Amino acid sequence: MTATNEWTATNECEVLIIGSGAGGATTAAILAEAGHDVLIIEEGPWVDQGEVVPFSLEQMDRQYRSGGVTVALGIPSIAYTEGRCAGGGTEVNSGLYRRPPEQAIARWQRDYAIDDFDAGDLLSICEEVEEQLTVQTVPGEHTRASEILRDGAAALGWQHDESPRWMSYPEGGRAVDGQRQSMTRTYLPRAFAAGARMLTEHRLDRLVMSGGAATSAQLSATATGVDQPTTITFKSVFVCGGAIQTPAILQRAGLRHRVGRTLAVHPTVKLAARFDENVNTPDDVPVFQVKEFAPGISFGGSASHPGLVALSLTDNWREFGAAVTAWPELAIYYAAITSQGRGWVQAIPGVRDPIVTYRLTKRDRALLGQGLARLALLMLEAGADEVYPSFKHAPLVRNRADLAKMTAAFAATRASVMTVHLCSTAPMGENHKRTATNSFGKVHGASNVWVNDAALLPDAPGVNPQASVMAIAIRNARRFADERAG
Amino acid sequence: MTQQLATPDVTVITGAGGWLGTGLVAAFLSDDHEYQRAGRLRLLVRDPADAVTLNAASDRVEVVVGDISRADTALDLFRGLHDVDSVDVIHTAGIIHPNKMADFDAVNHQGTEHILRAAENAGIRRMVHVSSNSPFGTNADVTDTFGHDEPFHPYFGYGRSKMDAELRVHDAVDRGLNVVMVRPPWFYGPHQPARQTTFFTLVRTGRFPVLGGGNQRRSMVFIDNLIEGIVRAELTPTAPGLGWWIADERAYTVSEIVETVGCALTAEGYDVKANRLKLPNVVGDIAERVDAFFQRIDKYNQQFHVLGEMNKTIAVDISAAQRDLGYSPDVSLSDGMRRSIQWCREQGIEL
Repeated sequence: MTATNEWTATNECEVLIIGSGAGGATTAAILAEAGHDVLIIEEGPWVDQGEVVPFSLEQMDRQYRSGGVTVALGIPSIAYTEGRCAGGGTEVNSGLYRRPPEQAIARWQRDYAIDDFDAGDLLSICEEVEEQLTVQTVPGEHTRASEILRDGAAALGWQHDESPRWMSYPEGGRAVDGQRQSMTRTYLPRAFAAGARMLTEHRLDRLVMSGGAATSAQLSATATGVDQPTTITFKSVFVCGGAIQTPAILQRAGLRHRVGRTLAVHPTVKLAARFDENVNTPDDVPVFQVKEFAPGISFGGSASHPGLVALSLTDNWREFGAAVTAWPELAIYYAAITSQGRGWVQAIPGVRDPIVTYRLTKRDRALLGQGLARLALLMLEAGADEVYPSFKHAPLVRNRADLAKMTAAFAATRASVMTVHLCSTAPMGENHKRTATNSFGKVHGASNVWVNDAALLPDAPGVNPQASVMAIAIRNARRFADERAG
Repeated sequence: MTQQLATPDVTVITGAGGWLGTGLVAAFLSDDHEYQRAGRLRLLVRDPADAVTLNAASDRVEVVVGDISRADTALDLFRGLHDVDSVDVIHTAGIIHPNKMADFDAVNHQGTEHILRAAENAGIRRMVHVSSNSPFGTNADVTDTFGHDEPFHPYFGYGRSKMDAELRVHDAVDRGLNVVMVRPPWFYGPHQPARQTTFFTLVRTGRFPVLGGGNQRRSMVFIDNLIEGIVRAELTPTAPGLGWWIADERAYTVSEIVETVGCALTAEGYDVKANRLKLPNVVGDIAERVDAFFQRIDKYNQQFHVLGEMNKTIAVDISAAQRDLGYSPDVSLSDGMRRSIQWCREQGIEL
């Protein structure tokens, strides 16, 4: 491993990459392999896969920003999570892999005037990624919580399928035997093998700009006991901090054109469902997704360790709280929507984290209610005895008549709305009115600053976005390398 | 699809004086309709005047005058049918634009319960309950389409009463009654009531209120398509308790509906003015609130109710009816509309 949290090497590099998630790690591998001198800066620690239990509270503490949950202000406020560790979100999320829908690629290309943005090219990069990450479906037995989604959808005749994941399995392995093929096991080692260096537990405080170019990066250590501030100089810098940190970094550097103005997310609402058998697998998430109402509404399963089960019942704790002791019989599921709303990310001078706001439209709020009701119906069809919707004053749902009570009582403003898919805060393309970067991620108004992460996606793709992020990041990194090759 | 059952010895039709009921009776008694049938028709009407007309139509017809919100009416309706070999029931009676809110529950909910209980006592073969889209509300997004099975989300008083009726149907199924449901959205065609005629007039004079661009989607069903759906639901052996959307093949945008009706009117020789009543969405929102307010204080106002619903999408997926029943709606929107217009003219109704 070439990652270290102690500063020993020279403080110069050719290409500085801020962040080591789906965007940063792929960028690092492609550029290092093309012969560039690459240094990656990561705010979080390096945590090997297997060192902490997936989806556990310890993982939230160590590998997420702010212990797991941050909040976008609005009515309702929307909770979101960001990975903060080597490998970023790929280390801690569900690892569910969905190619960018061709419809989304065509929409982005058309509405944002993205040059050389061909679906065929992107999908062939996806094939590479799939091979690298051993993207596959579960060869053996599924978890019970996963089968529930499949069976409920089948009973209703609703279209559903298994999302592949970046996992490797032993021959015929069960869902729980999977080994996550995240960035720390794939693209980061590839980058290191090609000579890239990585400095963990260092946060970028500021990019110093001079005459339209970034000249240096000021870092401070986040690990205890190391407090030497560091300045790094570079020729080019790739900002890959994710859809919240990337725009904040750009804004602090004075790069503001269409930066942080168009945050897009897939808002989700949740419920817990109780069955007459043990259905809870604390350290894994369901792989089936229901796409009958996609892209408007999709259903899937959430992490359901006991702490999260308790959290899902808190909206109506007085009535629902007692169920927490039966947590092995409960699993949490979500309904996600494609939102018409947009949010803002705004860096505030002197404050560490940016302010994030998000506004759901009237249609978004109605769609969340419709999604949650359909999800509850699916749970009843799958045999749930009781459904606990996650919103204030929610009724306990035991049958179809209760669904009417639930739809009557639902208001998105009283729901625990959250999201894990954040994107579109520095959209790419030649349409200057709508974009913060050119068609390949180079920030408008700066000569040597690139964005190469989820911030580039023009809108939320309607599916798990990390495959889109990786494919676009690889495409852009290749373009960068090609332009500089002899 | 399995072999269809033979038509029954007696077909009981509630709401036989209503729009749909009249259409069903006309089809069943016809000499040349695809769904003509032999056997007796036992018809329930509310208005004694309808009884006179229907009694005169055929000697196969027996008319009972009554009100389904009263339990004794249901008993009258099924009197003497215990010994008949096969009796099917088509329950179309309902109220959609009442004078007072309590009528919704009395007619649509309690009335259905009365019919279910009486049908059970009479040992009927199969019953088709005509439900609606309203127990399920409206689609939250213009691109959304209701699937075969949906959670209840009733739209105001009518929706609640039709939902309660569906719940009573499920109870009856649990008790062993063979009853299924059809769920037509907005239907149109010959025998239509005055409010639908107004719709033609508004389009002809260019005053149909198109809200917020007219891209809302609406499923509609021509009455003959609906009759096909009802008869197939009656005669196709399926598990009891199922419900099917019965609509035209696909949903239409409101703009498309207005344009198609305009073309149909023109083709029938009417002078049609370009539609110019384009209103912002907020008008529909306000009307919806006014409607909600009226309904809360136990009043019902048809204009506000219809306008409040006008900016909503109500789109349904009929693939389950196609699969389970072999339902295949033949009449297109433009043909259906032309046939409605012709019917209006034959009745001497001025559009």
